[in-house]
Amino acid sequence: MPEIKVTPLGAGQDVGRSCILVSIAGKNVMLDCGMHMGYNDDRRFPDFSYITQNGRLTDFLDCVIISHFHLDHCGALPYFSEMVGYDGPIYMTHPTKAICPILLEDYRKITVDKKGETNFFTSQMIKDCMKKVVAVHLHQTVQVDEELEIKAYYAGHVLGAAMFQIKVGCESVVYTGDYNMTPDRHLGAAWIDKCRPDLLISESTYATTIRDSKRCRERDFLKKVHETVERGGKVLIPVFALGRAQELCILLETFWERMNLKAPIYFSTGLTEKANHYYKLFITWTNQKIRKTFVQRNMFEFKHIKAFDRAFADNPGPMVVFATPGMLHAGQSLQIFRKWAGNEKNMVIMPGYCVQGTVGHKILSGQRKLEMEGRQILEVKMQVEYMSFSAHADAKGIMQLIRQAEPRNVLLVHGEAKKMEFLKQKIEQEFHVSCYMPANGETTTILTNPCIPVDISLGLLKRETAIGPLADAKKPKLMHGTLLMKDNSFRLLCPEQALKELGLAEHQLRFTCRVHIQDPRKEHETGLRVYNHLKGILKDYSVQHLPDGSITVESILIQATAHSEDQGTKVLLVSWTYQDEELGSYLTSLLKKGLPQST
Amino acid sequence: YRDLHTFELQAPTRLIEWACGSRVCVAGYGQSDGNEILQLIPPPTLLTKETQGLCPERDFKVECGGFSERPVYSLKYVPDTSLLVTSGPPDSSLQVWQVSAEDSDVIKSVSSIATENGTGQSWAKIATISARAPWVLHGSRLDRVQITEVESRKNIYTAAPGGSEELSGLAFLDCNTLLLCCATGQLCLADIRQPQSLVEAMSVPSVPCSEHWCMGTRHGDQGWEPSSQPVARLSSTGLLTLTDLRKTSEFLASAKARVPSPGSGAEFLCVSWAPALEGCLAISGFDGTVHVYDTQSWDSSGREAEPIFVHKGHAFGGAGGSGDPPLVTVHTWHLQKPRTLLSAASDGSLHVWDWVQPCGKC
Repeated sequence: MPEIKVTPLGAGQDVGRSCILVSIAGKNVMLDCGMHMGYNDDRRFPDFSYITQNGRLTDFLDCVIISHFHLDHCGALPYFSEMVGYDGPIYMTHPTKAICPILLEDYRKITVDKKGETNFFTSQMIKDCMKKVVAVHLHQTVQVDEELEIKAYYAGHVLGAAMFQIKVGCESVVYTGDYNMTPDRHLGAAWIDKCRPDLLISESTYATTIRDSKRCRERDFLKKVHETVERGGKVLIPVFALGRAQELCILLETFWERMNLKAPIYFSTGLTEKANHYYKLFITWTNQKIRKTFVQRNMFEFKHIKAFDRAFADNPGPMVVFATPGMLHAGQSLQIFRKWAGNEKNMVIMPGYCVQGTVGHKILSGQRKLEMEGRQILEVKMQVEYMSFSAHADAKGIMQLIRQAEPRNVLLVHGEAKKMEFLKQKIEQEFHVSCYMPANGETTTILTNPCIPVDISLGLLKRETAIGPLADAKKPKLMHGTLLMKDNSFRLLCPEQALKELGLAEHQLRFTCRVHIQDPRKEHETGLRVYNHLKGILKDYSVQHLPDGSITVESILIQATAHSEDQGTKVLLVSWTYQDEELGSYLTSLLKKGLPQST
Repeated sequence: YRDLHTFELQAPTRLIEWACGSRVCVAGYGQSDGNEILQLIPPPTLLTKETQGLCPERDFKVECGGFSERPVYSLKYVPDTSLLVTSGPPDSSLQVWQVSAEDSDVIKSVSSIATENGTGQSWAKIATISARAPWVLHGSRLDRVQITEVESRKNIYTAAPGGSEELSGLAFLDCNTLLLCCATGQLCLADIRQPQSLVEAMSVPSVPCSEHWCMGTRHGDQGWEPSSQPVARLSSTGLLTLTDLRKTSEFLASAKARVPSPGSGAEFLCVSWAPALEGCLAISGFDGTVHVYDTQSWDSSGREAEPIFVHKGHAFGGAGGSGDPPLVTVHTWHLQKPRTLLSAASDGSLHVWDWVQPCGKC
């Protein structure tokens, strides 16, 4: 039985270091290559030794696909391609290709320079890795080789995030990566067509969550910012250049406009240009509204948000500053933080996950006395808040996606086993498909029903269509032909052609039935009686009386002979070929009823 | 408001029940099968006494869920067990479920308690108590009230044959005394040690029979004498009466709430006492709002009362203009936070709100 095999190497039943191995019709594809942000040792990378103990990965894997630039989906890529060793193609969307190296380099800097780790990839490795990347467009079918093709679909979530369809022949798998079914201020919602894959691999991080409405989150965020600014404090929002930052900027800009606020909002130098550059480059990746307004004015050129200068941090009075990097581990955001931390009127709002070891992580865990370089202790009196604006699909969203794609099987990753049983049942009940949730290293085998393509001869097609239009266009029409399996090809031909090709002669089958009737008259009189009887009844058929006394009904022959022993009984021989079976049986039963007396 | 959180459930619910460990349970009541029973863990912001501002965990988490073939109209947890009981159309039988959150996140159907089905029986109202053994008090009509022991399904008590009025609610006042409220507004007391007698407690002021009544009793777990707490009754035209069960000959107080008329029916009428605020009660079920009243200023004249707070959030639901405006199906008070309520509406919305007393009284 043909089958698809799926083995999660990471994110099987936990969150972090997504990496899934899929084996489909002899092709091996690796989906994502993420890093686990919570570990400091080898556990942060997926276990690649599972793939193959001895052989080269390049020989074994046909391609690697990366869904988006978050580190838990691409963080282990340079390690994988340069340190473990892989030279095959790596596919991702254009924005992902542009942004991935920035994040990887940033992360490398923290890990190596700040934390002093040694077994880590270098800047050069990141560059070499990216040389192996082939960028793809949305809805573009990419032929990896003669049999394997992939196609990217819009996933929302972050700029450039995509869901991928992997197809070999008529077997296909769709991998969602992280996605979002509700649009937000700068990105649209995920979408896929009714591609009916054999398997849909979906993330289920937020499957058991009933989310607080976005309006409430935003309202609370704005309230906090407003309160701080009103009392003269300064708000620091450490962000990564691309991602939620744009969302928050749009939010604040709209709020400032509505409330006619005067306090300045700043965006780190260099960041605005870079961000704008990427958004302009990838404008088709943003949502409808942004694209429309972009023509009138650049959505990312804000009226109230200005470029930041280092000196502004010392200005008195309230202000809001967006600065990178996002986890307060280095650079400008850390500098600003150090200046403002001592004042309790100020506030820092962390908009996302912080890796262990960073200042961001420390203050979120409640630490209020931090050791800086040079043994300096920094006392944190400013308020610390955390607001997560990440965009993932919840249970309703997952059901929506399944409804859109109509897969035959569903596989869930990125969630905890115990907490996914209910969702599994829900999916199985509503869609009547099987739902799997393998753990890391556990292989799930999905059986598929492949279609076998068969060529049909032109002659057969012409013959069938010549019969006439379909009685009911919606009902399938039954067609008769001969299936010829020769030399690894399947063909449907009309029987005559098949016989010719095979060098066989057609056999004729003839049936003869004897019907006894009581009639004392002579044979030819009986024949005449039969002829008249049939002619009267079978008005739509061609009934003929031949000179030799036999009767034909269409191509069926009827002859009357005398019974050998009993002159009063006549024997009617009814003879027909296999093709006239229906009419032959009908005639026989008709004649068995006897002849009317009058004729 | 001091705080307002809005959530959207996949399917609307008409019940919100508290479970131990601050869990909240909701369930679907749609006609088709595949209704879900969801036990939710509220976000930490709702569990603590002080209201926090920004918090990473702001969402309800589905702790476990079950599938019910019939619509779930009523659900009650059985104290001191891991069981819960549900009821719903088409008949008055009860379904018993097992919740085992540590092992798996599926609420399993365990058994059902059948009841004899008379003609025209509607669904059973339920109340539970853990007395000598876990009991469930249930029935859809006055003459069909029973107490069944949940685990053994043994019948403990059957009410005396009486009127066949439909019930709108029932409650345990203590482990021997039952309070039954008929849809006509009649209140009856029963002592399970005397199964043959049913004491009629209180009728309602002469009103046209087309009204439908429901009742709200105070949770008796604060150590107070249960029968000393007034029972509130709400009619489908907005009449509210308070009755002291020790003095049933007259009303303690009565008032009229300002509700739209004609009313939208009695399907979702709900009245409940605040567990931590003296004399405060809330009503809902007329439209997309929840009213909070302070009954301490009421007298027995029955004139119109002003609510001290009206929650209008459900009326401004996300759908905006498509179809009927949402109707609040149920509301309940937070057990610890004095001014926090949870309310759900027919569009699937679930709101958690904390109101501020307008005139500065705290």
